[in-house]
Amino acid sequence: MKKKKILLIDDDQDFLLATKLILEKGGYEVFMAENGKTGVEMWKSVKPDLAIIDMMMETWGEGFSVLNKIRATDTGKTTPLFMLSAVDLQGPYNAFEPPPDFPKVNKVLHKPIKADDLLKCIAQELGEQKA
Amino acid sequence: MTAECEKPLILIIDDEEALRDGCKQVLEKSGYAVLTAADGIEGVRLAREHSPDMAFIDLKMPNMSGMEIIEILSHDIPDIVLVMITGFASIVSAVEAMQKGAYDYLPKPFNPDQLRALTKRGLEHRRLKIETRKLREEKDQMEKNFITFVSHEMRSPLVVIRQYIEALQAIAGDRFEKDITEIIERCQKRIQSLERMIEHWLDISRIENGTLAQQKVPLNLASIISQSVEEMTPICRKRGIALETQIPQSLPQIKGDAESLVRVFSNIIGNATKYTPEGGKITVTCQHDEYYVHVSISDTGIGIPSDKLSLIFEPFFRCGGKSEKQSGFGLGLTFCKKIMESHNGNITVSSKEGEGTTFVLTFPSLMDTT
Repeated sequence: MKKKKILLIDDDQDFLLATKLILEKGGYEVFMAENGKTGVEMWKSVKPDLAIIDMMMETWGEGFSVLNKIRATDTGKTTPLFMLSAVDLQGPYNAFEPPPDFPKVNKVLHKPIKADDLLKCIAQELGEQKA
Repeated sequence: MTAECEKPLILIIDDEEALRDGCKQVLEKSGYAVLTAADGIEGVRLAREHSPDMAFIDLKMPNMSGMEIIEILSHDIPDIVLVMITGFASIVSAVEAMQKGAYDYLPKPFNPDQLRALTKRGLEHRRLKIETRKLREEKDQMEKNFITFVSHEMRSPLVVIRQYIEALQAIAGDRFEKDITEIIERCQKRIQSLERMIEHWLDISRIENGTLAQQKVPLNLASIISQSVEEMTPICRKRGIALETQIPQSLPQIKGDAESLVRVFSNIIGNATKYTPEGGKITVTCQHDEYYVHVSISDTGIGIPSDKLSLIFEPFFRCGGKSEKQSGFGLGLTFCKKIMESHNGNITVSSKEGEGTTFVLTFPSLMDTT
């Protein structure tokens, strides 16, 4: 059976690598992008089954703009998208509420993510049976 | 707002045509842009439309008085510099104009030099005022962002390390010997405790710059203390220490933030458990007088040497050894002191080696103003 493809978009190389190792262990083919622009380009060329996007790259909001661009593509309308956050909840962003017309996020995950939890969420979203 | 490179815009409001034209000529020659209005209504309209940097306004005019115009413009146009032109240079009207927001006054008759000098001075005043405000806003924003920035920058590497440990366990966990698994677990524990330390340090910074979310409401300390006591009972039981409270039935209310006050009491009781041997006792008593509520927390522990007593509220100062039981970062009491200060209260300590330590927390009671 062909491996399912997951695209990781995060500006922290180490976080990308650590998460890639977990996902590969889970039997996925993993593609990594270190910034939003590359992420959107890879989305178009790779056509992954799921993407995980960091919320806070370079600037606050970069993750959301990537999300918008991906959702605007043909394949991006229905593909599951996860957001990652390590946002300090006491900080000035705790009041952030996505507007009603905000593109759909299938799941928000908090860094660091437990390997088991991550694989379980993905399996659920892709409608797979957990081994 | 007028761009920096543009000519400063001056508005003259005076019913005397000769004066308007004279002023316009003088100021235009000096490099300013000038608008003129013959009465208050026209003047206010022009001001709202063009937002001038400065305006000269005649005190005595038909329809709308100069005083009224000053009131409207100082309210409507941000940072506008207003100067009252007055025919009878009475101190009374000058003072009134300044109170309503005028920067200065110019008694008639005046010569071109006086007009130019006052214009220059007024515009300089405006520039400084704007610059000061911008700098202040920038400074406030930087202080607030600094904490968010530091918190993000300090936490990111820890998050990555924990993610690597997760990856390590996922790809090779089943191949590890027991001792390797133990090393990894200890690493995880130390990282988590470092994260908690950063959290505490950030809390203290937030109290200092006023960004810690605190909701101060009238409350009864008895319920705060009992929440804390409930929280700390399991650990006291585990360490074989008795925890007693003596709180009077009726206590005057204080104004405070419940969440941070529960943390204060839990912190001090928690501290006491670290330095009180098995079989010891921690007592929380509450008293009040006309103006204050005093809570004292005493233990029968090892006490604090007198030379160290004055240092215990300092950040990162730690009295005890490095044993597991006495673990901590030395930030707990700093936190308590800052929280007490933010409640207009204070915290004091007395101790005798070998006998025990007593902390006394004093809160101003909420006066009945009904």
